[in-house]
Amino acid sequence: MTSLTHLQKLEAESIQIMREVVAETENPVMLYSVGKDSAVMLHLARKAFAPAPPPFPLLHVDTRWKFRAMYEFRDQMAKEMGMDLLVHINPEGVEKDINPFTHGSTIHTDVMKTEGLKQALDKYGFDAAFGGARRDEEKSRAKERVFSFRTAQHRWDPKNQRPELWRLYNTRKHKGESIRVFPLSNWTELDIWQYIYLQDIPIVPLYYAAERPVVERDGTLIMVDDKRMPLEPGEVPMMRKVRFRTLGCYPLTGAIESEADTLPAIIQEMLLTKTSERQGRVIDHDSTGSMEKKKQEGYF
Amino acid sequence: MRLRLDGYTVADAAERTGLSAPTVSAAWKAFREGGWEAVPVRQRGRKTGQATRLDESAQQVLVHLLATQPDDDEPAWSARALAETLNARGQTVSPRAIEHWLEARDLKPKPRALDELERQRTQAGRWYRQRVQPVLGAVRESGGSVWKGGVRVAKPVSGVPELPRYQLYLHGKRGALHTRCLTAPPKVNDYLTLFQRLRDHAPDKPVALMFHGADFQASAEIRQWLDAHPDFHLINVPPANGL
Repeated sequence: MTSLTHLQKLEAESIQIMREVVAETENPVMLYSVGKDSAVMLHLARKAFAPAPPPFPLLHVDTRWKFRAMYEFRDQMAKEMGMDLLVHINPEGVEKDINPFTHGSTIHTDVMKTEGLKQALDKYGFDAAFGGARRDEEKSRAKERVFSFRTAQHRWDPKNQRPELWRLYNTRKHKGESIRVFPLSNWTELDIWQYIYLQDIPIVPLYYAAERPVVERDGTLIMVDDKRMPLEPGEVPMMRKVRFRTLGCYPLTGAIESEADTLPAIIQEMLLTKTSERQGRVIDHDSTGSMEKKKQEGYF
Repeated sequence: MRLRLDGYTVADAAERTGLSAPTVSAAWKAFREGGWEAVPVRQRGRKTGQATRLDESAQQVLVHLLATQPDDDEPAWSARALAETLNARGQTVSPRAIEHWLEARDLKPKPRALDELERQRTQAGRWYRQRVQPVLGAVRESGGSVWKGGVRVAKPVSGVPELPRYQLYLHGKRGALHTRCLTAPPKVNDYLTLFQRLRDHAPDKPVALMFHGADFQASAEIRQWLDAHPDFHLINVPPANGL
């Protein structure tokens, strides 16, 4: 009997988690943030339920500030996958024109992402939501279980988590509770890239190095993706060869200088890196333990 | 010589062979006067360890000068202008030594081989034939000057003290480098000063500048300046075309 490679083991574990959720919950949904983890998660979901399409819709909680390339890719993928894509934008945020520049990253993230997500889950009555978070991204994600239970108000209590011994998952929910499920929790960034390479999974081109217009903000390279980005007096964006290790709202996502314009080159870069991909996310540096606070309030 | 015989310019032949333009030019002259036998063939450069090293004070002056504008009407610092300024201050340094010093600090970018696009059946080739060639032709016909240039961030070099790494650079006739270094990304005034100095370099003549590395479309001030100076033809070299 041949043993499985580490990627095959991770794949099998993720597929088992997805099937478990579909078997045990009534109305699951897959959060689709258009990034590389979402791409892998979607690929795994299609494998888990093939030849039928996955028995749940995709949900994109839109902030209106994603990269243009992400929107193009999202619409193209939804068309090709033949799955329902639900897009939710917090209407209160739209009404108040919440944005990262005027209101800051904290308020923008809280209103457009956290509140937007909670609204969408309540609106459609989803009792389980798949997310592409991984333990190696950030310390609060490291301690979160694969099945993360949330109260009726979507709050997370890190001190009250269920044991998941021998990969056995207790999926019983109290009334009003919901579950956030992380099938990729045990994957690393390098695993994700290797899997994308081996399975030839399409991803947003922003992950590949190319010359892009960027400005520097507090040592972070921010791409000028559209005309809404306010430039400082006399500032001229420079064209620099950059790529993104993580994708979010473009004014809050830092690029890295890189020559990696192919998947093997990205994997080689990953082998040498000593920093987390989340170092490029401005929102993670708002304050000490900011991600854990956000998660307690309902952020993914 | 074979490249020159095939119709390549001195600058093209120099770039392809890695020789300097004066070397190619001298060899071409020797070839025309005395044939193959007259072309000198010898080991390139000095023997290892015999290079002229710039002393600490000369290096400090160079770093200071590169952050400023030259006093004469040059658009930015050339190796020759830097050497002359250092010599005037009593430090004997050759332009060649300064070129080596710049190269060792990743401050000597090569001119982009845009002319080669003329023969390419690619999107970049079409861009060159349709957008660039007509402009260059008109400028040259009017006796104007053509420059290549850009803005870049020099890579840090291990073992070399940190320098201002944002570099504005130009390549003029025969690929001669003119440059200026900054500690922060250039602002509108830095670009406009460069453009104005290019105009002043050859007054009353049109100027074409093929520039790479800045998104000028995002700057209203630059667009206004270009509108006000129709004899200055700024050609943005598009990104991601491997130029």
